[in-house]
Amino acid sequence: MNLDIQFKVGSKFRTSMFVMIAIGLITIVAGFLTGDTHRTWANLLLNNFYFLSLAIGAIFWMTMQAITQSGWSSSYLRIPQAMGIYLIVSFVLWFVMFFGIHDLYHWSHTEAVQNDPILLHKSAYLNLPFFALRFVVFFALWIFITMRIRRMSIKEDTEGGTRLFGKIEFSSKVLIFVLAFTFSLFSIDWLMSLDAHWYSTIYAVKKFVSAFLHGTALVAAIAVILHMQGYFPQLTKKHKSDFQRYIFALSIIWAYMWLSQYLLIWYANIPEETVYYVPRIMSEYKTLFYAELVLNWFVPFLFLMWNRIGKTNWGILTIVAILIVGQWVELYMSIMPGTVESHKITYIEIGSFIGYFGLFAFVVATALSKANLIPKKHPYLMESLHDDH
Amino acid sequence: MRTNIIGIYEDEEVVLKAVDKLQENGVTVADVMSPFPIHGIFERLKLTTRLPLATFLYGTVGAITMFAFLYWSSVINYPLKFGGKPLNTLSFIIIIFVLTINIGTLFTFLTYFVRDKLYPGKKVELPVPETTNDKFVIVVSKTENMTDGDVSNINNIMKESGAIEIKESDVNYNS
Repeated sequence: MNLDIQFKVGSKFRTSMFVMIAIGLITIVAGFLTGDTHRTWANLLLNNFYFLSLAIGAIFWMTMQAITQSGWSSSYLRIPQAMGIYLIVSFVLWFVMFFGIHDLYHWSHTEAVQNDPILLHKSAYLNLPFFALRFVVFFALWIFITMRIRRMSIKEDTEGGTRLFGKIEFSSKVLIFVLAFTFSLFSIDWLMSLDAHWYSTIYAVKKFVSAFLHGTALVAAIAVILHMQGYFPQLTKKHKSDFQRYIFALSIIWAYMWLSQYLLIWYANIPEETVYYVPRIMSEYKTLFYAELVLNWFVPFLFLMWNRIGKTNWGILTIVAILIVGQWVELYMSIMPGTVESHKITYIEIGSFIGYFGLFAFVVATALSKANLIPKKHPYLMESLHDDH
Repeated sequence: MRTNIIGIYEDEEVVLKAVDKLQENGVTVADVMSPFPIHGIFERLKLTTRLPLATFLYGTVGAITMFAFLYWSSVINYPLKFGGKPLNTLSFIIIIFVLTINIGTLFTFLTYFVRDKLYPGKKVELPVPETTNDKFVIVVSKTENMTDGDVSNINNIMKESGAIEIKESDVNYNS
């Protein structure tokens, strides 16, 4: 088998991605010009977080493969590495968010904090300079370590041997601790602080598991799509089944975290905690509240239990499509009730998502085309290419 | 009681190749025994099992039964309000969840025992007792219309593919 496979971005694909980016840009500009600034900022936050968590989830999946020294996945490692490149783009996009901070975050108004004992108490952590510092440090760490792993992996293509394999494993060990700590604080900073008076200790865990679940699902989908285009002839039923088990297990963990947060708050029934769920269940958000659970857990759980579905291309792609909608609903439920309050899906929601999706797909595809599609000197590569028993 | 041709091997990779070789020559491999699960042997022998389906059914029945019991006990038979919660309440979920797993596991376990005619203290008859330690065994059933030529052919294939010992056994291990 020829291992020198170069992915090429088709011109049709490129054009359609540019069209999508243009749609997104027009929508966002229109959103600001028509005076819907509040909703536009909220949507920018949603999309920024959405695609950032896909990238984070994918690189977390990649570190898992390195730490467990998995053989089966070794020929797909370029996919999460390419998704990691999006972190750089995401960094730039998040900078724009700083202009919208006063629009979204109640705690960022100094005069409001002075008259609010709870926010005053939290202000040692939730203040703009520290907030910005954390933001920069987190992104610097993510980008630095991810790029380091990708660089070493590409160098491995020419060098071979196990020296770089060991170094990648070490960097991955560093990265999981960094991600666990920083991404948790990141989701607390940018999402949980929208409802600044409320807190939940499991919030960050749920967002992390969500990122892991949806990032992994997207890695599987990209692998299947490339396989259908003829790039990964080695993608057997075994590999699809492995991806399926990942998605299946993670969707159960996701539901576990969801229930852990909801059940305790429901059971204790303390007003300062239920204040988060009341606008989400007892309002027009009700449908989406249940849709979140159905899309992210019930549907994947029920269908992937039958392992014949996970062994087909369409099975994996359908489940991933459902999960992609599911994550959008989850973030919508996290952000919108605390910001725009009224529930309405307008052209801004749809247009800005299309724009970000186009950008993400374009960045990932370009990054994939920059390196050999298969890490051809990976020590465990043969196990992945000839997984016939 | 039927007779089996038994090939004893010392390495899992060799066993896999030997199974392939036998099947290429049209020999039906009845069973493979090994001290640990070998990747790929399940597919090669075309074994099927309905045990996962049974587990799913037990789990479903368990969930429904537990919900019915909880509903009966805390809504119909002894309706007691506590903590301002409704009678038919969300805290059922944890009990249903745990007992679904419990019922599913226990009944799967029992089904396996019944189907395999196993019970605690049963004396297991193995053609080669070392398969529980460090030996691998391929079993080919000797059918009545098998000629002596066929038998020696099977013996030859086993020998060529690396069997350290070949013998015949009339242990009816598979009941």
